[in-house]
Amino acid sequence: MFRHPLFGLYGLLLIGASSVASYRGFSFTDVNTVQGVPKSVRDNPGVYRAIYSSYHRYSGGK
Amino acid sequence: MKSVFCPSCGAPVTFRWSSAVQTVCPYCRSVLVRHDVNLEAVGKVADLPVDPSPVQIGTEGIYRNKAFVVTGRILYAYDEGRWNEWHLLFNDGSSGWLSDASLEYAVSFLHQLPQGIPPAHELSRQFKINVDNVALEVTTITRARYEGVEGELPFEYWDKTDLMFADMRSADSHFGTIDYSENPPLLFIGEALDFEDLHFKNLKLIEGWS
Amino acid sequence: MVRTLECPNCGGTVELKYERTINAVCIQCLSVLDATNPSLQILQKFEGAKRYQPKIPLGTRGKLQGGQYEAIGFQIRQIEVDGVTYEWSEYLLHNPYKGYRYLTEYNGHWNDIRTLRALPVASSKGSKPSVIYGGKTYTHFQSASAVTAFVMGEFPWQVRVGDSVDIKDYVAAPESISSEETEGEVVWSIGRYTNGAEIWKAFGLKDSPPAAIGIYSNQPSPYTGRIASSWMTFTLLSLLLLLTVIGVAIVSPRDQAFRQTYTFSTGNTEPSFVTPVFALKGAQASLQVQLKTDLSNDWAYFGLALINDDTGTAYDFGKQVSFYAGSDSDGAWTEGNRSGSVSIPAVPAGRYYLRVEPEMEKDGRPRRMRYELTLQHGAPSYFWFVLGFLGLLIPPVVTSIRAFSFENRRWAESDYGALVQSSSGEDD
Repeated sequence: MFRHPLFGLYGLLLIGASSVASYRGFSFTDVNTVQGVPKSVRDNPGVYRAIYSSYHRYSGGK
Repeated sequence: MKSVFCPSCGAPVTFRWSSAVQTVCPYCRSVLVRHDVNLEAVGKVADLPVDPSPVQIGTEGIYRNKAFVVTGRILYAYDEGRWNEWHLLFNDGSSGWLSDASLEYAVSFLHQLPQGIPPAHELSRQFKINVDNVALEVTTITRARYEGVEGELPFEYWDKTDLMFADMRSADSHFGTIDYSENPPLLFIGEALDFEDLHFKNLKLIEGWS
Repeated sequence: MVRTLECPNCGGTVELKYERTINAVCIQCLSVLDATNPSLQILQKFEGAKRYQPKIPLGTRGKLQGGQYEAIGFQIRQIEVDGVTYEWSEYLLHNPYKGYRYLTEYNGHWNDIRTLRALPVASSKGSKPSVIYGGKTYTHFQSASAVTAFVMGEFPWQVRVGDSVDIKDYVAAPESISSEETEGEVVWSIGRYTNGAEIWKAFGLKDSPPAAIGIYSNQPSPYTGRIASSWMTFTLLSLLLLLTVIGVAIVSPRDQAFRQTYTFSTGNTEPSFVTPVFALKGAQASLQVQLKTDLSNDWAYFGLALINDDTGTAYDFGKQVSFYAGSDSDGAWTEGNRSGSVSIPAVPAGRYYLRVEPEMEKDGRPRRMRYELTLQHGAPSYFWFVLGFLGLLIPPVVTSIRAFSFENRRWAESDYGALVQSSSGEDD
């Protein structure tokens, strides 16, 4: 590590970033967020409309 | 040190080495061979060309913790220039050689000739030999001329024109030379060294370089 | 002691600066002259020869590892590979005490070269030939015939344009070992990769060195040692991540906010209903909605909305659960799962209720299902740690890939080609 200070620094940063990302649970895959979901969803869950549509359904078997 | 006088010009001749067989009078360049206490002038040598080597007669150094002093030299010439074989007198009385070809220094000592050294005309670059468990390979074959002598040497003046040397190296800085100037050839074994390894003192000062 | 002489070819002034010089090149007409001959006998002369300019001016002194050396000679040497000529510069350096040394430059890549005192030992380890010297293994990179294309300056040995030697290069970055072989001689040398900036500093040269292009055979990899250490760092960080996972698992609140068992029957009655209001406490955290049904060979769909009773904000989601079982020629089989769960990220504290709208097949036959609905606030999503772990893998994996790519590009220039051939066949 001492003969490669840049590599050492890069490695430490990488480990640090991995730890934070892992601990915080960061992800590349974004989850859609919807703002202002009305309180009424609790009383009538059926009114909630997801932004995404269920575009793909796996239904295979062998 | 014994002082004697040159039979040719009368100048005092000093011997650093009691076992020296010959020396050259530094004044008249007569080659002087020792016979007990007398000196015999056997010939004259021409002035040697200006020598670029930092080593000179009187240079001191250390090889394998043994101090040496340079007492004499043989100068050779070949296609690629000249080199010196400096005669070294060690502080234990032994004698060795320092070669300075292309300023690549090597210290070597006369070695008993092992079995298997081929005659000059059969020697090739592929030749390999084990001497005292050191695997030596021929790296250079040099044909040279004798250009002159200076100072005290362990043999008598000779004058051979076409000489052949085979330099050998090993995986561990060992160095060897087969000297075909005599028959059978002479073998020298030693070590190739860096300038710093020899801890020279009393080198020639070269202008502009410290 | 500079000797000033006249070139017998062009009459220009030839300065001889070094006592050991055997061959010198006339700076005006580029003739190669015999410096040992008082009349400077011409050894080679050219007309209209291409002139190269050494980047280190001859006569410049530089302080290299091991002492001061002066650039005294310059050569351009060439090799030909697959019909393409590659050329490099070679500087002869001299110190009158320590001897000779060379600098080579190819595309801005420099090597500091000395001859070897000891012989490298051939080794048969590995898929490519190699030599061992000083305990290190050097892998064969290239064999070629190098031809001298241009000479300038003074040389303490014979040098001619057109001289050819066989070169074998072995590499172990940042060093390389080469053998240069002629009929009478083999010379081994070791080179050390050097940055242009170091050469410029050593010789006090002006401006800046040419930028290095491409990757050179013995160029040190910037990733050497980094691979292992980056995986080491990765291991440490992974352990830390594991500890964090355990920590988060322990610390995370897991409030069971709601739990109730319901029965659903198809019929004409309104299928939707709402749960009683429940409180989510503590910090913002995920809400896990678990559905455990008793379905058998059937499916059910739950339209779900988590609604904040105070603000009217709703999280709208759904979950399908199906379970089929039977047996056929292959034996018993099942498909699907009777239970399912949905995690809603980052749900703040508050008073909530859940609107549930189950749905089943409407084929006229009456159906009935019992299911248990459980809400858990604060369950950590470990998925993030898996992601974090993958994130930690990136730097060492990238480093490893880059290191390999560097080596691949290095070896692409060798006799063996790239370690991995690119799809286009040729690596540039």
